[in-house]
Amino acid sequence: MKINLRYSIIIYRKITDIYSTSLKFKIGFLILLALIVVSTTFCLLAPMLAPPNYRSWYSLKKDLPPNLSSLNLILGTTTNGRSVFWALMHAIINSLIMASITALVASHIGLFLGMISGIKGGTVDRLLIFLIDVFIIIPGLPLLVVLTMSLKNVLTIPLLGLIISVIAWTWPARQVRAMVLSLREREHIYIARLSGMNSMNIILSEIFPHIVAWHLINFTNTVLFSISTEAGLAILGLSILSEDTLGTMIYWAQNYSALLRGKTWWIGSPIATLIILFVSLYLISTGLSEYVNPRLRYGVTR
Amino acid sequence: MSRNLSVSFLKYISVRALIFIFTLLVSFSIIFLLLRLMPASIVDALLAGLSQSAQSITPEEYLKLRETLEEIFGLKGSLSELYVKYMYRFFTLDFGPSMIAFPTPVREIILNSLPWTAGLLSFSTIISWITGNMLGTLASFFERSHKNTSRVLQGVAVILYPIPYYIMALVLIFLFAYLIPIFPLAGAFISSSRFTFSLENIYLIIKASTLPALSMILVSALGWWFLSSRALTLNVLSEDYFLYAVIRGLDSGYMARKYVLKNILLPQTTALSLALGGIFNGALLTEIIFAYPGLGFILYKSVVSGDYSTAMGILSLSIIAVAAATFIIDIIYPLIDPRVRHK
Repeated sequence: MKINLRYSIIIYRKITDIYSTSLKFKIGFLILLALIVVSTTFCLLAPMLAPPNYRSWYSLKKDLPPNLSSLNLILGTTTNGRSVFWALMHAIINSLIMASITALVASHIGLFLGMISGIKGGTVDRLLIFLIDVFIIIPGLPLLVVLTMSLKNVLTIPLLGLIISVIAWTWPARQVRAMVLSLREREHIYIARLSGMNSMNIILSEIFPHIVAWHLINFTNTVLFSISTEAGLAILGLSILSEDTLGTMIYWAQNYSALLRGKTWWIGSPIATLIILFVSLYLISTGLSEYVNPRLRYGVTR
Repeated sequence: MSRNLSVSFLKYISVRALIFIFTLLVSFSIIFLLLRLMPASIVDALLAGLSQSAQSITPEEYLKLRETLEEIFGLKGSLSELYVKYMYRFFTLDFGPSMIAFPTPVREIILNSLPWTAGLLSFSTIISWITGNMLGTLASFFERSHKNTSRVLQGVAVILYPIPYYIMALVLIFLFAYLIPIFPLAGAFISSSRFTFSLENIYLIIKASTLPALSMILVSALGWWFLSSRALTLNVLSEDYFLYAVIRGLDSGYMARKYVLKNILLPQTTALSLALGGIFNGALLTEIIFAYPGLGFILYKSVVSGDYSTAMGILSLSIIAVAAATFIIDIIYPLIDPRVRHK
């Protein structure tokens, strides 16, 4: 409990600090926040505003182009007679839920293994780095294809997030390990150790504060990775096709060849949303990296 | 002294080689077990087809047929027998007959589609490596004198980099196959895998490969290679020795070549070789979106239909390629970077 609290405080302080110093982080964060707030609001209001069965097919006229007459039609309708707007709002939420599960699981596995590997060193370190190498060598997408295919019947959105973490933890682990290795030899760690601090306290108060920004970068990148991987799986028809996610929206649009029949509002909405989401997440991640590595900041060269 | 050095070098190489082989074994085992999970069974599919077309098959005949098919496809035996069998195939690189296109050997299928994938990916990887690195280095080297160009490029990179190449592919199809129809739609071109060397065929291939290549080049050149070379260049520019070179009044072309390029080429070459090792992985999604007859396309088809041999063949190839690329880098790196010592 105490550790959890300290962990959260460190992360919260870091985020507010970065928010006030980095413009890129601020812009990305605000775009992401706006997307989340808008889609959550509409999802919560959906029972009141949406057509009775927004999920069911042919509840609206098919292939209507966008018009402003009602909220249902604001982004047009699909060929299977659904409102693109409501599908999109739920898709954003579902994709973000899935991605945050991947990010929570994978980036923390990475953080944990990376720290252990870096601090313990020796055989443990060698074993872990070997495991990471194996997972890097195995092609990721085919691995996910087989996994999702075999779990097709029980697939849910959280489970999909978990499956993607199977390949998403390696990069964070490498990153954290490298950081810990360079931190371990620094003087303040020696001093802490000599003055009788126990390992847990050293990790929490001497090592973790230096890693936390990297951890946040890994977290953001994993969110990005998870969303784009799900979209990739969905294009292959291997996501949860009965749920709305940004990927499955693209899948259904592709399935009815929306692109080639010029139903641009249908396939365009999830793609545009994905791009906005990716750019905002990436801005957050660069904002963080510039905070960690001031050399990357614009205009400070020389 | 020099004898000591060569002994330690040999030791380094042999340790690396051991790790290389061990990595291969472990990743092979993981893939072997993973493919066991494949729900689709080609034998069941064939039998289902048979029982639909044939009038009546007695249960005994059915079982016998099943056994024969499993034997032909090399699926018979316990898990450990199969493991040994596939391990042998893995190291001899002979994966027996394929199942989706029986009796064509897997090797032939791979050799037929390899040129498509290798051609597309090596071309787009190398082109994007060159343009991305040039733009990234120049844009940050001349950031102060060409502020606007540099800013525009950075803006483009920030938007392009996080976009997955398959989303880019969809955008490009919309732009250049639907809106301005200069390129063919997906799959409208290659009728057979038999390739005859004629001018018309080459024209068709170029036309068909442009969009897939472009979708990858745009994302990786202006995205990853641009951003990484920029970060590396900025690192060099903030070093003291560079400041000293500026104070000495050295020619900026000389500084760009000797101070910046020399330093950024090292990590970037490593990254390039890793990217080239990943070629056998195939750009699965690009190939599927464009119905491009490469390795990724075949891999997907074989996994979906349960063709164990072909899937195993392609996955093994890609594992070996990536592992070999890492191994070679490990060996070569100390030779090109004097700061790294063999340990």
